[in-house]
Amino acid sequence: MKYGIKTTDKDKLEEWLYLMILGRKLDEKAPNYLRQALGWSYHAPYAGHDGIQLAIGQIFQKNIDHFFPYYRDMLSVLSAGMTVEELILNGISKDADLASGGRHMSNHFAKPEWNIHNVSSSTGNHTLHAAGVARAIKYYKTEAVAISSQGESSVSEGYVYEAVNGAAKEKLPVVFVIQDNGYGISVPKKDQSALPKSGDAFASIPNLKIIHCNGKDVFDSMNAMTEAKQYAMLGKGPVIVHAACVRIHSHSNSDNQELYRDDYELKYVKDNDPLDKYKRMLIRYDRITEDEILEIEERATAELKKAHNAALKSADPSPDSIYEFLYAKAYSTNEYPDGLHSTEGEKIKYIDALNTTLKEEFRANPDTFIWGQDMANKDKGGVFNVSKGMQQEFGSQRVFNAPIAEDYILGTANGMSRYDSKIRIVVEGAEFADYFWPAMEQYVEMSHEYWRTKGKFAPNVVIRLASGGYIGGGLYHSQSTEGVLSAFPGMRVVYPSFADDAAGLLRTAMRSEGPTLFLEPKALYNNPNAATTIPNDYSIPFGKARLLREGDRAAIITYGNTTHLSLKAAEKLSAENGIEVSVLDLRSINPLDEVAILKLTQKVNRILIVHEDKTFAGFGGELSALITEKAFEFLDAPVMRIGSENTPVGFNPILEKAILPDVEKIHKGLLNLVNN
Amino acid sequence: MKKIGLFYSFQTTRTAESAEKIAKEFGEDNIDKVDVMTMKFSDFENYEYMIFGTPTWFDGELPAYWDELLPAMESLTWKGRKIALFGLADQRLYPANFGDAVGIMAEFLEQFQAEIFGYTSIEGYQFMKSAANRDDKFSGLILDEDNQSELSDERIKNWVVQLKSEWSL
Repeated sequence: MKYGIKTTDKDKLEEWLYLMILGRKLDEKAPNYLRQALGWSYHAPYAGHDGIQLAIGQIFQKNIDHFFPYYRDMLSVLSAGMTVEELILNGISKDADLASGGRHMSNHFAKPEWNIHNVSSSTGNHTLHAAGVARAIKYYKTEAVAISSQGESSVSEGYVYEAVNGAAKEKLPVVFVIQDNGYGISVPKKDQSALPKSGDAFASIPNLKIIHCNGKDVFDSMNAMTEAKQYAMLGKGPVIVHAACVRIHSHSNSDNQELYRDDYELKYVKDNDPLDKYKRMLIRYDRITEDEILEIEERATAELKKAHNAALKSADPSPDSIYEFLYAKAYSTNEYPDGLHSTEGEKIKYIDALNTTLKEEFRANPDTFIWGQDMANKDKGGVFNVSKGMQQEFGSQRVFNAPIAEDYILGTANGMSRYDSKIRIVVEGAEFADYFWPAMEQYVEMSHEYWRTKGKFAPNVVIRLASGGYIGGGLYHSQSTEGVLSAFPGMRVVYPSFADDAAGLLRTAMRSEGPTLFLEPKALYNNPNAATTIPNDYSIPFGKARLLREGDRAAIITYGNTTHLSLKAAEKLSAENGIEVSVLDLRSINPLDEVAILKLTQKVNRILIVHEDKTFAGFGGELSALITEKAFEFLDAPVMRIGSENTPVGFNPILEKAILPDVEKIHKGLLNLVNN
Repeated sequence: MKKIGLFYSFQTTRTAESAEKIAKEFGEDNIDKVDVMTMKFSDFENYEYMIFGTPTWFDGELPAYWDELLPAMESLTWKGRKIALFGLADQRLYPANFGDAVGIMAEFLEQFQAEIFGYTSIEGYQFMKSAANRDDKFSGLILDEDNQSELSDERIKNWVVQLKSEWSL
């Protein structure tokens, strides 16, 4: 039976009214916290969205479904079972805030314990997370749905299309709720799209059901959400619920809607207050009396007062805690504490080391998954065949192609890993590293999930990227990315130069909690110089550099492709000039082996940093600053850097050679350094 | 001539003005004007011939005052009742849901076997989509005071003539 004013039980009607009144009281009280300098500097009022938000919360089943609320979903989470006190703790950013302990912006409500997820301020990007967790729901055959909620303006974001398209392609149990109040802050929706109802943009996608409802009406919203959840759980695909709402107040505390909405419009939306409508109907159809409404109002006022008093007594976060929960637990073993070995035997190529390690980890852990572009089709396994044979061995549910949508690749990895902390995901983030940029917002997101949730969620994801040049690839095929990608706290970054380092670090990354960016110098995949022996079950701790060559006149600090160029330059310097220099391969960029760097600086007193990325704003600048700050007294010469020119990488081999570092340039740099 | 019940919100502006014009065309003595904001549910049962003023709100909704009546209307007997619908709409700003409220109300009433009269041609309007559009006819009279106010009087006049004929009044 459908929900209706005449058909719904009185107890349920009263329960809803209580939630709606309580929520509205908090919605109206929230700005007072800012006025009293108590916090809640960001509050996006939900008034006008009452019907759909009540329905979202009522439909959500805690610990079973997964809910991704957006910043205006106060009533949704209250209706889902969160308490007013929990919401106030979030609003005034207390240490006990369930979402983030005051780390994330206010009005970003969450209760990860119940699968009410902490989402980004980058509005709508959690659609990808919802699709990702729904992939796990489907894979593990759980009777549940993922519910993603957002405003209509955020549908303008390209990643929302990626999420809906991908969820439909995979027939995932997701309910995407679009709460349409007509505005993105001050921007009317006519300035967002030619389409008045943004949900209709997806009408041509198969496997997708679109339901329109009146988000201002409790019953229409309840019926729409019920139908949506039932459909999504059939396994036929996702659902969009497009809910027509009004925004009664300004977008947030920092907005003044009187600057762009006229009196007529403001009255018009106020006259359509969903709470007033609900009360009118209850009275008109004799379902509740005026006195009963008054009693509910009083009860809600009392609960709010009690919650307010309790929340104000709660502790603030400590400034000493800022480095807590930055990195989730890394895998470690005592077998190779420094990540060094002396195994002898047959040498294995870099690409085979990756392939073998991936397969070994997939055999050892059934909750491992890998996807990306060109990942698997018959004998094709990854754009460079790194994952060759994996789909045949592990099946298409664990090893599969992704759409050419880098944000989807990464965002669904984030989402899927929310399902269970035992899951480990590897993605080929892009065909080539320098195609990765569309995924940047998900990369940034992933880097701070663990910190932002105060340790409640770590995306256990390894992002593999085939990186760098020396293949004549030019733009988007031969450029380096680590100068940019290493700039985000919370993201581990490794860049191994040899097969054993690649195997050892990949194993560590796959067994660790939290995300790791795994950069693979693709020019080394089949390079015999990068082939090595590899011990069984080899793992290398993060943040352990490797001294490859010893010499006392200077040292090169390097990683990736330029490790090999540096070794050759050092040999050339020895052979032609009789000068011996050390070569230190960092292997890990973050965490960085500061001890090894400073120790070497103390020993040789002259440092040349070599990397393939540009020297301008490259990672070498960070290394140079570190050495200058912490070992200046040991330096006999300025720290020097060699990297690519401050240009894009050209396609013609003549241009590429002119731009990228090579043995000659490094040799010349070494001579300058030792003679300085 | 049998009395016609003309139902609309007296708090509206343009809908009320249009209703006045419709009443005038029928002759004031032949019509009872009923305010849907204050009426009793049983007021629907007083008339065989009824005209509802249902402007389209937001992106294609019935006004709340009509929406709130629907649960009560479900319980009434509509079989044999002759209903005509008119509604204000804006084809320039809301071309994707032009006059939807007229279509929504028509569909609602038809499920209870009410008879809908006063279909009008879609010619002369420019819009993308309308819930009131059935085989290139609106299931009522759509008036666009925002963009075609100069055509409204003529449209009302013609519609009343049409209704008198269809209803044999």
